[in-house]
Amino acid sequence: MNIATPQTLSVKRGQTATQTLDISLRSGFHVNSDKPKDEFLIPIKLTWMSGPLAAKQITYPKPEDVKVGEDTLSVFTGKFTIETKFLAPPQAQAGIATMQGKLRYQACDSRSCKRPATVEVKVPVSIQ
Amino acid sequence: MNLLKTGALLFATTSLLLYSCSGSNPVEVKGLAQQTGNLKTAPDFTLKDANGSTVKLSDYRGKVVLLNFWATWCGPCKIEIPWFMEFEKQYKDQGLEVLGIAMDDDGWAAVKPYIAQHKMNYRVVVGDDAVANLYGGIDSLPTTFVINREGKVVDTHVGLIGKDDYITEIKGLLSGANKNAMLRNSGSPAAALLSLGAIR
Repeated sequence: MNIATPQTLSVKRGQTATQTLDISLRSGFHVNSDKPKDEFLIPIKLTWMSGPLAAKQITYPKPEDVKVGEDTLSVFTGKFTIETKFLAPPQAQAGIATMQGKLRYQACDSRSCKRPATVEVKVPVSIQ
Repeated sequence: MNLLKTGALLFATTSLLLYSCSGSNPVEVKGLAQQTGNLKTAPDFTLKDANGSTVKLSDYRGKVVLLNFWATWCGPCKIEIPWFMEFEKQYKDQGLEVLGIAMDDDGWAAVKPYIAQHKMNYRVVVGDDAVANLYGGIDSLPTTFVINREGKVVDTHVGLIGKDDYITEIKGLLSGANKNAMLRNSGSPAAALLSLGAIR
């Protein structure tokens, strides 16, 4: 999995802004969507630590169905984005800061699976 | 990964050298197969099964063992499980044992419900990085080590392979045939070299 370095997110105090996380997977691989169809599968999950902005909503792309054996899986493949709507509280301090998050995922191809992984995500933010 | 890749590559390289020395036609595979002295003993470990009973790999000496690293979240592993259940049923009397090592981070909390749901009939233990490291580090699942009656690893399958490939291996080992299935393994580095024409 490759995550593109996030651009600086500019947001005015009291307003929201949407940050886009651009992710790409190697050809042939998939990760489970945020809502896998099997209880044992590990969903992709983006979480944000507390910081100067508040993560109000995380939006995952529309998953695709992939057949593996007799199961139909809900997955993301290729290039996809996860969006996070951040709110800059009115009392937030203006300036440059960083929002830190974690992306947990579990990837497979048609023959094998990689063990679950968690990667850190850092988004520079400019609060005005 | 790591040690598994390194180990597998070393194994493949050793096989390549042996093969190069032994000739260049398929008949020589049998010659190579007789080099059993090059097989590595499966590292021993002691873990608990779902009932809390101790499972020690070396206690399986004299049996042919399919040592299968898997996880409840692994789709390809799920495809193999019914095969292994069938093998356990069909070949147990002849000396086959299937032993699953679940690599779930959540341990028995995830594995026990899965065993029940899938009515798994073979023994399962929960593994950890220490056991995985004994086997070169397990980066991909399923990874299955085929162990002969002498406790030697005769084959390693990283990823899903065909059911028939397992059946051929099992039958061969149970019948005492002295063969090295590794070079027929579609998932092994040696097989990859074969398919690329690096070994002829």
